Amino acid sequence: MSNFIIQVNGAANTGSASYTAYRFTKASLEQGHQISLVFFYQDGVLNTSSFNSPASDEFDLTKAWIELNHQYQIKLVNCVSASLRRGVISKMEADECQAKHWNMQSPFEMGGLGELVTGIERADRLVSF
Amino acid sequence: MILHHIQTSPAQDNALATCLRYIDKQDTVLLSGNAVNALLLNTWQHELAQRRIFILEEDVKARGLTERLSQFNFINYEQFVQETLHHDKVISW
Amino acid sequence: MKKLTIIFRRAPHGTPHGREALDLALLSASFEQEVSLIFVDEGVLNLVKMQHPELVGAKDFIATFGALPLYDVDTVLACKTSLLEYGLDKAELTMKLTQVSPAEITQHLADADEVLVF
Repeated sequence: MSNFIIQVNGAANTGSASYTAYRFTKASLEQGHQISLVFFYQDGVLNTSSFNSPASDEFDLTKAWIELNHQYQIKLVNCVSASLRRGVISKMEADECQAKHWNMQSPFEMGGLGELVTGIERADRLVSF
Repeated sequence: MILHHIQTSPAQDNALATCLRYIDKQDTVLLSGNAVNALLLNTWQHELAQRRIFILEEDVKARGLTERLSQFNFINYEQFVQETLHHDKVISW
Repeated sequence: MKKLTIIFRRAPHGTPHGREALDLALLSASFEQEVSLIFVDEGVLNLVKMQHPELVGAKDFIATFGALPLYDVDTVLACKTSLLEYGLDKAELTMKLTQVSPAEITQHLADADEVLVF
């Protein structure tokens, strides 16, 4: 069995790359492979906003990532600088800038590009979307 | 041997053209998302004629293109995962 | 340590791709990875001198390319064909780099452990 690191660069709901990333991740896990990290970079951080509110008859990608975490305990990490730039913040950043609202919480985590790089170093394969 | 993954239509983005400029003979091209539409056009059919190519089945079906693209190799997600391991690396353009 | 190749294929300022590619390049180098950069296609426009991104509300990350040698990123390649297409083959560029043919880029991609395209 192999160890994958998945990099998601495309936004949820406004492009197809993030959905493909989700399906690839799910298929890998179902085949018994390990996903050491799903790293959201560039517009990919928009996958993690809890303010994403698709209509009830539409596929909810943010919820799908959360369910994948619940089922397989995969790590879902955002690049913090890419996130802040795009209005995705956790309670910690909200507190720091005295904002009343935040839109990113567990199981998503904020992290740095260092996590992506060390993840790539340890993984058998990087697959970006 | 590299698996080159293209996710965007060549009508919108240069990913496919750029990939084909640097691809090696034994490499493979995987088309997903709107990139599958490339194969409807003679230009890209011709450009890709000598290459090993895969297209992601669900993206073809979703777009109603199954019959039009039936001469190409469809793969599902399970095979997609396997192909990333059969190749030395994946480059997503 | 892995050999990471970062490809710049898009023009600067219209999207944040180039800037976020450079962030990753510098970070990877500071994490002791063997990093190389390749400029291809419209990405060669990152190499044009005298840019003023602040005029269009963009950050001047172009200046940050100057930090690459400090991070020991010594392999910077640009596609000859792309430079020629954009009329930059003889121009003075922002940084020291090696002009290579598409075939040499193909070989470089084969030698890398992972390739990230921006």
